[in-house]
Amino acid sequence: MNSHAEAIELPLPLTAAMFQVLLSLAEGEKHGYAILKDVAEQTHGEVKLSAGTLYGIIKRLLNEGMIVENRHRPDREYVDARRRYYLLTDWGRTVAIAEAERMEKLVAAARAKHLLKRLKSV
Amino acid sequence: MSLEKLSVSQRLFRLLLRVLPLEFRTEFGGEMEDLFRAQRAGVAREGGAIGMLRLWWDTIVGIFTTAPREHLAILRQDVGYALRMMRANLGYTIIAVTTLALGIGANTALYSVIHAVLLKPLPYRQGDQLVVLRQQAPKLGEMNVPFSVTEIKDYREQNSSLGGLVEYHTMTFTLLGHGEARRVRTGVVSAEFFDLFGVRPILGRTFVPADDQPGAPAVLELSFEYWQKFLGGDPGIIGKTFEMNDRVHTVIGVLPPVPQYPNENDVYMPTSACPFRSSPQMIAGRDHRMMRAFGRLKQDATLEQSRADLGTIASRLRKEYPQYYPESTGYTAVSIPLQQELTRQAQPALIVLLAASCFVLLIACANVANLTLSRMARRERELMIRSALGANRSRLFRQLVTESLLMALLAGALGLLFASGCLDLLIEFVARLTPRAREIRVDGSVLLFTLLAALGTSLIFGSISAFQRQEDMSSGLKEGGGQATTGRKGSRVRNLLIVGQVAFSIILLIGAGLMTRSLIKLQSVDPGFVAEHVLTMAVDLNWSKYKTGPQSLDFSRRFLEKVRNEPGVVSVAISSSFPLDPDTFASGPSTRRFQVEGRPLKKGELGPESSVRAASPDYFKALGIPLLSGRAFSEADDGEAPLVALASRSMVRRHWGSEDPLNKKISFDAGKTWLAIVGIVGDVKEFGLDKPAGDCVYVPIAQNPSVGSVLVRTNEDPMSLAGQVRRTIRDLDPEIAVTNVESLEQARSDTLTPARVMTDLLALFALLALLISATGIGGILALSVSQRVHEIGVRMALGARSVDVLRLIVGRGMVLVLLGAGLGLSAALALTDLLRSLLYEVTPTDPLTFSLAAGVIGGAALIACYLPARRATGIDPLVALRHE
Repeated sequence: MNSHAEAIELPLPLTAAMFQVLLSLAEGEKHGYAILKDVAEQTHGEVKLSAGTLYGIIKRLLNEGMIVENRHRPDREYVDARRRYYLLTDWGRTVAIAEAERMEKLVAAARAKHLLKRLKSV
Repeated sequence: MSLEKLSVSQRLFRLLLRVLPLEFRTEFGGEMEDLFRAQRAGVAREGGAIGMLRLWWDTIVGIFTTAPREHLAILRQDVGYALRMMRANLGYTIIAVTTLALGIGANTALYSVIHAVLLKPLPYRQGDQLVVLRQQAPKLGEMNVPFSVTEIKDYREQNSSLGGLVEYHTMTFTLLGHGEARRVRTGVVSAEFFDLFGVRPILGRTFVPADDQPGAPAVLELSFEYWQKFLGGDPGIIGKTFEMNDRVHTVIGVLPPVPQYPNENDVYMPTSACPFRSSPQMIAGRDHRMMRAFGRLKQDATLEQSRADLGTIASRLRKEYPQYYPESTGYTAVSIPLQQELTRQAQPALIVLLAASCFVLLIACANVANLTLSRMARRERELMIRSALGANRSRLFRQLVTESLLMALLAGALGLLFASGCLDLLIEFVARLTPRAREIRVDGSVLLFTLLAALGTSLIFGSISAFQRQEDMSSGLKEGGGQATTGRKGSRVRNLLIVGQVAFSIILLIGAGLMTRSLIKLQSVDPGFVAEHVLTMAVDLNWSKYKTGPQSLDFSRRFLEKVRNEPGVVSVAISSSFPLDPDTFASGPSTRRFQVEGRPLKKGELGPESSVRAASPDYFKALGIPLLSGRAFSEADDGEAPLVALASRSMVRRHWGSEDPLNKKISFDAGKTWLAIVGIVGDVKEFGLDKPAGDCVYVPIAQNPSVGSVLVRTNEDPMSLAGQVRRTIRDLDPEIAVTNVESLEQARSDTLTPARVMTDLLALFALLALLISATGIGGILALSVSQRVHEIGVRMALGARSVDVLRLIVGRGMVLVLLGAGLGLSAALALTDLLRSLLYEVTPTDPLTFSLAAGVIGGAALIACYLPARRATGIDPLVALRHE
């Protein structure tokens, strides 16, 4: 996966909101409102999405092939015809991992400079 | 969900969604509504009113930050696509962009002129409050009588509407001690002159009242141009001295580059520096008039109030001094806005040119719209596919508008280059009409105009084609045909565009034709003199040195003797001025009143007037002015001999009719001295070939020493003698300034320059219009032929001959041309009246010009129609039928 990631230029860094959407979808397919709630929970309310920003991000992730709409969902008991479910693609997963690794390296660098001492002891 | 069931929140949210692009709304709008509803339900359970407010706030901010990004993304896509399409159709792109660029460029150039000359406020402090004061004697037809010193004083002291009143006159000084003696045009002004105009010097200071006191040190204010041109913009010029005539003057300041009115001067001096203005006779003489007056309206005064105010003072003067202001003159005084005075001459020409350039742009727009429509027919497949792939109609519309916008912007940039390229030429032309020409430049406002012109252009030609396209799409899809743009409606729009182009072109052709005819008439006017082989120059005798007549005469006699015998010289003369003299041309004739012997004037009656020219004996020979009867001047007509004069033919006719005027006498000084008419000479157009020859009295220079110019008739190129003649003058007296050295032919040609440039510009616009329209007609017919191959094939298979096909196609084109020509001719009947003031001996509805213009456009259109028609006759019926 890494080699694939290196062959194609990765669209990094992602914005915090984009990364959170990808993280949310890492657990499985979700519809818009679920993603929105998930992100709020994940970030303890720090990243707050609204309808406009969320669908702006979804459109971009769709265009860049990081997520797809799942059109082959088996019918569930309550399905709103308009509610669409989104799914992380392999490419989306690769980008999310690369972004996480990038952040990890940053944290490591901060530690090396003793900026994150307290965290280290935890 | 039906609208009536929607809650207020939902309606508001839907309204909010409209900020986003349609594509985005179509894709995610429904989901966003659901999501927002769920969010609201959640907040309603937990958050209360504050939570709801925060949700709305976050939602609004979110949508407003997403919307620009989404719009931009679509724009980027459209632009990329449009650029690819433009590259793929390079020929079309080049033709369309160039056509529009010419139209936009012409308009930009004209706008930059009109903006600087007519629209921008005057570059003086609160320029709209500045007025020119005029004394007028309407019953004598004199609308611009100069002021005397006492009159200026009266108006200054008695008015209540002006915050200031200053005087101005111009004269020439001779600059000495800086190489060759040089003539310096000098504005002589009140000390408060520049303060009144609000002009601040760029170096030093302007005049103060102390500078204008009798006996004050002589000071000089330099004009920006003189400082730049002759003093190299020397920053250390303040305090330097110049010897002018017999006095040393110190430079105290340099003016900024502002328009100078009514004359362009090199330097300015306070009134006390002018010996004529300071003479006791001038100061006391109510009728010693040589000044102009300017004023500034008080903050709360209107133009009407100042006019009433000046009128009251004038009527007071009429009562007080009836001998100076007789009732028979209708004497009064008025104020005229300076802005109006500065641009009066330029306005008609500029408005005509602007109208012409607008027409060119409209023709260009129509042509490009037509071109785009024709190309649309070829892009049918592509657009069908795109719409089949899900691009909705508004998306396609937007795509087409983006394409036209891009093209127009490109044309705008090119047009701007074109405009800045030809700006110098325009400035030169406009400078002959107004001193504001110096303000013409491409500035922010001009750039904005170009941008707006480009946007407007794209709106016109883009929306015609895009709307047409929408119409066609709907009808085309309904019909299920692939030939949507060949539909009747499509071709009707294209036909209308052709009719419009032809109409506008014919108006432009007529305009150019009228100006050309007028120019030809002007060029063939008999001016009353023979301009060929005459060298002219202005000579300024240093008036503080040549104080008496005999001194000037001595120079004159010695000069004539020396030059007369030089090789190449046929005859030589000295005179006060000469026909079409650039020094006096702009100001027009300065006339003097006279009295005819035996016809005493009644009390208060003014005598007839005539211009007076002092001339040496060979003046008439040098200029080729015919002597019609009597004799010319001779050397014997000197200061000792009886006073004599020659009269022009029109003057003789006016005052003596069929009587013999020879030996009749006239007086210019109320009967103190009398001049006997000894000869009659031909009329001369002194002040413009388009103006009637005025009455003129010639007096011998020996009896009226007034040396102003030198005229030499040669038997070779007159300019080849210029150096020699100049040297002769310098040898006689190095303190004489020589200027305006040119041939009389050149002086004559210069007077026609404004008319010539105007004609050239209109002809250029007309030619452009003709070319654009002709290619437009040809293009439309070619498209129609290619779309009617099958029909033509059938006709030919059924026995139609080539000639029938030719008639069919040419006929179709010519019907449109005839319609357009008819419309254009009728519109021209009304519009060409704008040209009236610019035409000479040609009426604005000149039938010959109208027919010629119709002929030219008919001929061009016929050629444009013939080419595609001939191609149609070459269609092989078999191939055509198979093709279908």
